[in-house]
Amino acid sequence: MEHIMHHKRVFELTGYSQKDFSVCLGCKICASVCTVNDLALNVNPQELLMKLFMGEQIKNDEPLVQYCTSCYRCTAACPWQIMIPEVVRAVKESLGMEARFEKAFKKCLNIWGRVYEPFVIIMSAPDLLKGGYLQYLPRWMEYAGFHFPHRVKRLSHSSGTGSLKTPAGR
Amino acid sequence: MMEYGYYPGCSLTGSAKKLDRGVRKICEILGHRLIEIPDWNCCGALEYGNRNELLSISGENLKKAEQIAREIVVPCPACFKNLKDANTDGVYTILSPLELLNDANLLKIEKKRDLKGQVFFPYYGCLLMRPEGNAIRNKTIMEDVISTFGGEIDGEKMKDRCCGGNQLFLNKWATEKLSTLILSKSKGTIVVFCPFCHMAMKTFAMDRKVIYLTDLLLYVMGEKRSL
Repeated sequence: MEHIMHHKRVFELTGYSQKDFSVCLGCKICASVCTVNDLALNVNPQELLMKLFMGEQIKNDEPLVQYCTSCYRCTAACPWQIMIPEVVRAVKESLGMEARFEKAFKKCLNIWGRVYEPFVIIMSAPDLLKGGYLQYLPRWMEYAGFHFPHRVKRLSHSSGTGSLKTPAGR
Repeated sequence: MMEYGYYPGCSLTGSAKKLDRGVRKICEILGHRLIEIPDWNCCGALEYGNRNELLSISGENLKKAEQIAREIVVPCPACFKNLKDANTDGVYTILSPLELLNDANLLKIEKKRDLKGQVFFPYYGCLLMRPEGNAIRNKTIMEDVISTFGGEIDGEKMKDRCCGGNQLFLNKWATEKLSTLILSKSKGTIVVFCPFCHMAMKTFAMDRKVIYLTDLLLYVMGEKRSL
């Protein structure tokens, strides 16, 4: 029952509880607007919510999990404004699906407190070379420029600006 | 003169430096003073599955702004969304530079060039438009700018479609497919405000120009550079 542990983690991460998804009416309006439908067949965010609600396994090769672009078309259309992209991000995190690029991004935050693009590019170079990204270099020249990374002084951690007691303050 | 806190965000110190320069310049011309939040940190973008962690990372910036201003200008749409989310007790007002533009101050701009005979595709993408609570208030401001200075508008139906920018370095075929769809249903110079959209469009737009709205404004104001 490993997937139940993953689900638990998703609820922890998002601040949603299982019963928050019981309100989903199954209208599938999210499915009708989902951007991932332009990339794969029969994509249905509602099904993902149902799986979390019913405790069914979510696989890491589901198109929504792999390709969600965080466009929030689903949220904008949802009668309950459920933040499905956040749920998908939590699912990815619970399944340990981070790519080199994403790992490098977070590493920047830990080292400098800001993203330093040259570092992210170098760290994800194996994926970029294999993925055929070199062909775009001429187009990306306008993005080039050099600056040293700036190291930020971080404040101690707490949530948002308010005094939140409940996780995620939903 | 109005004073605002300014949160550039990571992209604007690197690949989207142009947007940073444009925003600063235009705000200066319009009489808005931007004070950069000291030692601001990354907002976390769309990389965190942990909502609390994300709110904490973004919220730190609001605390750092405390001594500076309660109104904070945030150009990057991802940062704009995250800082809005982190503003849990509503103490701050988070503004996109687009929200500082309106008919009144557009008319004040001294027009050195116009856009007659040129076609533009105003492309907002996702995070400036959705979800509703995080969206900008003036959702036709790019059209307003283009038509005020005599330009023609195309591709309005695609203006809030997703370019897939955040998949560009993960699954580029996905970004290519989504961006190409948007490009195929629009004509003319692509006007954006988001660094992700800029990069996705630039990567897949073949021979079409991709510019920030700030570039367009500076062009109208007579800056030497052409579009």
